[in-house]
Amino acid sequence: MKLWYSFLKELKLSSKSFYFYIEIGMALFLLALLLLVIPNEFNTKTTQYLFLDLDESLSTQMIESYKSADLDGNIEDVNVKANGVKHDTKLYVTETEKVYIVSSKEALLDISKSEKKLGVIVTLKDNLLKYDYYLQGYETEKYENFFKILHNNSGQIDKSTLETQRVMKLSEDLNILSDRENVIPSLLTFNGSLMGLFIIAAYVFLDKKEGIVTAYAVTASKVWVYLMSKVGVLMLTSVFTSLLLIIPVMGFGPNYALILIFLLASGFFSSALGLVVTSFYENIMQAFGVIYLIMVAMLLPNIAYFIPSWSPLWIKFIPSYYFLYAFKEGLVSHGNTGFVLMSAGGLLLLGCVLFVFANYRFKKTLTVSA
Amino acid sequence: MIKVKNLKHSYNKDGKYAVNDISFEVKEGEIFGFLGPSGAGKSTTQGILTGLLQIQEGEVEVTGYNVRKIDNKMFNKIGMSFEQSNVYSKMSALENLEFYRKLFDVKTREPQDLINLVGLDGKENKKAGEFSKGMKHRLTFARSMINYPELWFLDEPTTGLDPAIASKIKNIIKEENEKGTTIFLTTHNMHIADELCDRVAFIVDGEIKLIDSPRNLKLQYGDKLVEVEYVMDGKTIKEKLSTVMDDDKKKLTYIIEHYSIETMHTKEATLEEIFIKVTGRELV
Repeated sequence: MKLWYSFLKELKLSSKSFYFYIEIGMALFLLALLLLVIPNEFNTKTTQYLFLDLDESLSTQMIESYKSADLDGNIEDVNVKANGVKHDTKLYVTETEKVYIVSSKEALLDISKSEKKLGVIVTLKDNLLKYDYYLQGYETEKYENFFKILHNNSGQIDKSTLETQRVMKLSEDLNILSDRENVIPSLLTFNGSLMGLFIIAAYVFLDKKEGIVTAYAVTASKVWVYLMSKVGVLMLTSVFTSLLLIIPVMGFGPNYALILIFLLASGFFSSALGLVVTSFYENIMQAFGVIYLIMVAMLLPNIAYFIPSWSPLWIKFIPSYYFLYAFKEGLVSHGNTGFVLMSAGGLLLLGCVLFVFANYRFKKTLTVSA
Repeated sequence: MIKVKNLKHSYNKDGKYAVNDISFEVKEGEIFGFLGPSGAGKSTTQGILTGLLQIQEGEVEVTGYNVRKIDNKMFNKIGMSFEQSNVYSKMSALENLEFYRKLFDVKTREPQDLINLVGLDGKENKKAGEFSKGMKHRLTFARSMINYPELWFLDEPTTGLDPAIASKIKNIIKEENEKGTTIFLTTHNMHIADELCDRVAFIVDGEIKLIDSPRNLKLQYGDKLVEVEYVMDGKTIKEKLSTVMDDDKKKLTYIIEHYSIETMHTKEATLEEIFIKVTGRELV
């Protein structure tokens, strides 16, 4: 019962505190970012500027081929400004690219340099179309070589070889998150869980400053009750702010039971970690450096998350790696339940160890200032 | 109620002791004053007795519990009023007391009764953060009584209070003591100690210099004095003279015979004067 009363008291206090509104405010800010700034799908269309240095019949033929591939068949006249000069161009938008056809080589070079996009000049030589590509200068050799072989028509494709090679999908019913939804696990890790690490430290230091901890220490309640009541509040606010992010973006699609389990486990782990750090310091200024370092380390797995080809073994030892993928599995339909539960169990276990250690540390240091 | 034997405590464990080999006992039902200047070791001793500081050397027993292995049940029997107010500033006075009463396993007092007792009635729903320093102090004092403590630790209970409120607090202390509560009073205010304490201990530089009742101390260390004001060459002179020392007695007779006496009355030595006499230190 003491835990329950302490929890209620902490809840009441946190609802009156500045930090609680930081959490809510941050969640609302991230939600606005998701809904208003981050597109549902990032634009993957390549942009190129093209000058057709051909006779009229060939030019018309090529323009017709672009026109037929244009999504709405409407060719836009677009003015592109480069180095203070306006150039008339015609824009063709296909499923994979945006092609601006310019009227001169000079205009093409100007625009391409100014816009830092690919420039292409098409000419006719020996009755064959010749493509000259203009890159910016920082591209890799592989990228450069790609253009060298792009229009190589001499290579023969061995059809029998082609038939022996098969490309298969491992999952046919895989629901992939949209680009916007794919950002959510990263935001949940940061706002829902890692902010807890910082905020629990702020709560404890505030109590220390007001001397409340000393008053609590001479009651018949135990230190772990005091600590757990704070952890409980952090877990609850983490669930609340996370749902604030997920529901407006994903509606009822995600597996909320799974997400809830993982939010509680990751919130417990983060808060316990925050308590361990807090137990070594007297005020938030002293502890800030370490808290900041931990948060930066915990953000590193985001790189592996967004660039899956970079995923060294050591990054899998950072707990937030599992935050990201477990949240992702909870968000997709038919996610890997086993992975989420295993990760939640692991974090819960790790959190328990940290909590027991924090309790030991606090029993020794909570009231001692000298 | 309290047994302390050869207690030592060093904050940096470097051989410099904040409390150096002190021993004393506090009997059930008495008001025991622990007196000394700032930095004398009062708070360190009190911290160890209340479990706020870990005991290093010596033996301490509080309400029958060995503080080396503190049992949380011990806190059901003790109350602690801190010198620095430490209440939840974002909660009202009533909410503060309502919350604290739930942290004990024994019968507790009604928060509103305590609020009335310390003169905060009408302010019970006001946030403690909006209280004046004195009001916060009274709330901290009231909170320490919530579990009907058998042993009540009071750290400078009247500091910062106006005389009327201080008098009220002293009366509460006396009443609680009459009901059987043992009180461990830490202060550097000799007047309140003189007024309230059955026995006092003088502590300086971590060592107890003496323990006795204020009455015995006055009898033992206080000179019997006469304070006399007389007119000499048109000027009023004020002097304190002993009624037992021969020189002073002769001087007093001479003054009475040769000068015009304006006022004359006997004066006992104060506890503060005795403290200075015994320890050689001021109470600052």
